Amino acid sequence: MHSTRRDLFVTLFSAAAASQLARGQDEPVAIPGKRPMIVHNDRPEDIETPVRYFDSWITPNDAFFVRQHIPRPAPIDRGGYRLTVNGMVSKPVQLTLDDLRKLPQYTIPATIECTGNGRGFYTPKVPGIQWLRGAIGNAEWRGPRVSDVLKMAGADASAAYIETDGADVGLASTPDFVRSTPMSKALHPATILALSMNGQTPDIHGFPVRLIVPGWDGTSSVKWVIRISVAAQPNNGFFMNPGYRYPKYSLPPGTPAKPAELEVIEGMPVKSSITSPEDQARLPIGAIPIRGFAWAGEQAIERVEVSTDGGSRWRDAELSSPKLPFAWRLFHLDWQPSDPGYYTILSRATDSAGRVQPFVAAWNPSGYLYNAVDRVGVTVERPA
Amino acid sequence: MKTLLVTCVLTTAALAADQATLDRGKKEEGRVCLPCHSLRLIHSQRLSKTTWNKELDKMAGWGAKYQDRDALLEYLVSNFGDDKPPAPPAMSLDGSSAKPK
Repeated sequence: MHSTRRDLFVTLFSAAAASQLARGQDEPVAIPGKRPMIVHNDRPEDIETPVRYFDSWITPNDAFFVRQHIPRPAPIDRGGYRLTVNGMVSKPVQLTLDDLRKLPQYTIPATIECTGNGRGFYTPKVPGIQWLRGAIGNAEWRGPRVSDVLKMAGADASAAYIETDGADVGLASTPDFVRSTPMSKALHPATILALSMNGQTPDIHGFPVRLIVPGWDGTSSVKWVIRISVAAQPNNGFFMNPGYRYPKYSLPPGTPAKPAELEVIEGMPVKSSITSPEDQARLPIGAIPIRGFAWAGEQAIERVEVSTDGGSRWRDAELSSPKLPFAWRLFHLDWQPSDPGYYTILSRATDSAGRVQPFVAAWNPSGYLYNAVDRVGVTVERPA
Repeated sequence: MKTLLVTCVLTTAALAADQATLDRGKKEEGRVCLPCHSLRLIHSQRLSKTTWNKELDKMAGWGAKYQDRDALLEYLVSNFGDDKPPAPPAMSLDGSSAKPK
């Protein structure tokens, strides 16, 4: 069954590839359900949000970034959908969407950031999608708790992990996308199976069911969930090992890591990004609002400072959204430069655990967790 | 004079060979890489020869079957090497009114 599905996908994809060759490989494409986005890969979709769309606490679904490791699964039928819960459980179950809807529903505002967001800022360059600031978004996810779903199957409380599989399957010999989550995080009351995203169906973001692991790297939040297995050991497939691992000890830039010294990424670091003005903008002298977002994984944002002179003097920015773990906060600073010229604007966040955004992000061979103090340069001009 | 002529002929031959290799590399890229992903994924990166070569190893592990690997590597390094300027960002067209399939 599995290989038949895989063969079908390969056939479909070869047809898509042939049509792509025929019409020219780099022609502009529209991504269904999305405004114009920065395209790193259109098949499968790896698309980034331009910073100009980040002007609200909630990122609208049609502007939310997409990271697909492997092609989307064929559309899933609501009525035929089943979630298998098995492994170390007393009664394996197959749940329908109605079963999931009957459980208590919780709304969790959570930022999802691709583990490799900002990879394009690292030097030396590392392979992978060259994301800059926009492989991140903040949404209200709603659905039942994973802990309630596990209870229905009688999960063994002593099991250390859950393993989550999505309906997507690899092409050729590419690995299936499977992720493990430690049981303590799986049982956290904010860890849910999202049936909706900002009140809408999640569509390309994992319809009908997406695991949401708040505060952890985006790859933890598996899309199109069709199986949760309770297990004593973590899955050892590519997307757990060596994929999505980070060096325990910092490395000289450009050097390989020892596989034994890599560990699974969990909570995300503290980070802020400037969304306005845009880097290298030319602006008329006058009031120039500086805006952006900051988040800190499982912690909340305590403070964001902004400098408009390359880091000589810093001012506290105003934080305009609630102080919550998991979700970003928006910041702004009203800036009124008195002279024309070129200005280097920086932003630096501090979280509720006292972590401060560093000036230099630790280089690592996969380009993960980029969180250096953000920096944009702008030219302020007098009107001619 | 004779030496100069020989040098010219050899240089031209070497350049021609290079161009032919690059053409073969481009063809290999379409044949091997396109079945699984768009070429933007490749063309948006700027990597050293060593790193591109490791990527080819990784893709071989994931099912890529090369017929002309050396030409493909030459083509990648020559067009998307880490000494090349960054790729300009590509924007998609507006698809917001289309329902996702």
